[in-house]
Amino acid sequence: MDLDHFLRDPQSRRRFFCMSGMSVGGASAAFLGACSDDTKNPVRLGPDESDQADVEILNGVLDLEFLAVAAYKAGAGRLRGSRLEIVKGFLEQEQEHADGLSGAIKDLDGTPNRPKSTYDFPVLRSESDVLRFAIDLENTAIAAYIDALPKFSDKDLRSMAASIITNEAEHVSVLLDALGREPVPDAFVNGKAA
Amino acid sequence: MAASGSAVAIFDGGVTSSGEIAAFERDRRELLRRGFGLGGAAVLASSIPLLWSVRSAFAEAGGDGDAPILARAINLERVSVIAYDTLIGGAFMTPALGGALRRFRAHEQEHEDALVTALTSLGGTPPAPPQGVADVDKVVDGLRDVRSRADVLTFLIELETAAVAAYFDAHAKFGEAKLLQMGASIMANEGQHLVILRKAAGQDPVPNAFETGET
Repeated sequence: MDLDHFLRDPQSRRRFFCMSGMSVGGASAAFLGACSDDTKNPVRLGPDESDQADVEILNGVLDLEFLAVAAYKAGAGRLRGSRLEIVKGFLEQEQEHADGLSGAIKDLDGTPNRPKSTYDFPVLRSESDVLRFAIDLENTAIAAYIDALPKFSDKDLRSMAASIITNEAEHVSVLLDALGREPVPDAFVNGKAA
Repeated sequence: MAASGSAVAIFDGGVTSSGEIAAFERDRRELLRRGFGLGGAAVLASSIPLLWSVRSAFAEAGGDGDAPILARAINLERVSVIAYDTLIGGAFMTPALGGALRRFRAHEQEHEDALVTALTSLGGTPPAPPQGVADVDKVVDGLRDVRSRADVLTFLIELETAAVAAYFDAHAKFGEAKLLQMGASIMANEGQHLVILRKAAGQDPVPNAFETGET
């Protein structure tokens, strides 16, 4: 699939994220409504949220991290010089997120999801395509984490999610800058601004 | 002399400096004098007392619902606006840096406006506005010591790092879902400010996979 078509077409994006292994449990509507449409439900905090619900949410965002790792690996082959170094650094940080989330899931006696063997990425023909696709993935991850944030029953998980959101937002700034675009376009980063 | 953030409360009503922190700060200033101000080790060291005080301040904000946290966040954003205004008008600005700082200043103002709206909607009253550089000193000391472009960047990196740390801790305290989400969106924006400031200072713009306000 052509990247421009992918980025313009919400249905293509939704299909891609659903097909890429996004697990959406009952407690996780964390993907911009990508695989379900219960994001309009009011979010409630409280002690009745179980560890199992946290595990489901964690596995949902873990899938996104695996996707990001795979995307950066795939995109790195098209990059050279400073842009390649940027992506290599971000790849390592996405892997750190995945490792952290897997550890949190195990701490809750859950079983972490595993990455898919393949991902059906859009066709990336140029360095610019790689960076634009990376921005889209990062923004999707930010939106997912922000959606998931109040659903965590464990306060430490909320803090961890906030620290990952901020890191992904930093990635977006660097990627925008590499494309010659305004690196900090909005006062509020919610993943919905491209 | 490089700008430096001493260990003081980031929010009004927070902790005050301790002897331990003051001693640490003396050591840090010595490092800065010796030219390590922008080095990784010194930056790492610089964050320790500051973040300690930030987190203690949030601990004092606990137990009273979301309104006290919002009030302290409003003060932080107002102080940031004052700091940016002071530095933008200084003598060390290049056009590019000045433009970036004006945008960041506008972002801090947007944060403040949203936080005031949120606090008001909870029936709270916004805190009294900070009065100037003296109130900035209560968050990050050193604004008066800025003498160069490098000082500007060092000071702002500390200020923005303190903001990230404050919002990071707020996530364990906010009760309202929408406040959690707003806090995250602001924290992420402060992180993006850090990217630009670090890059301008010759530092790694994204040094940590988990941005908690510690470097």
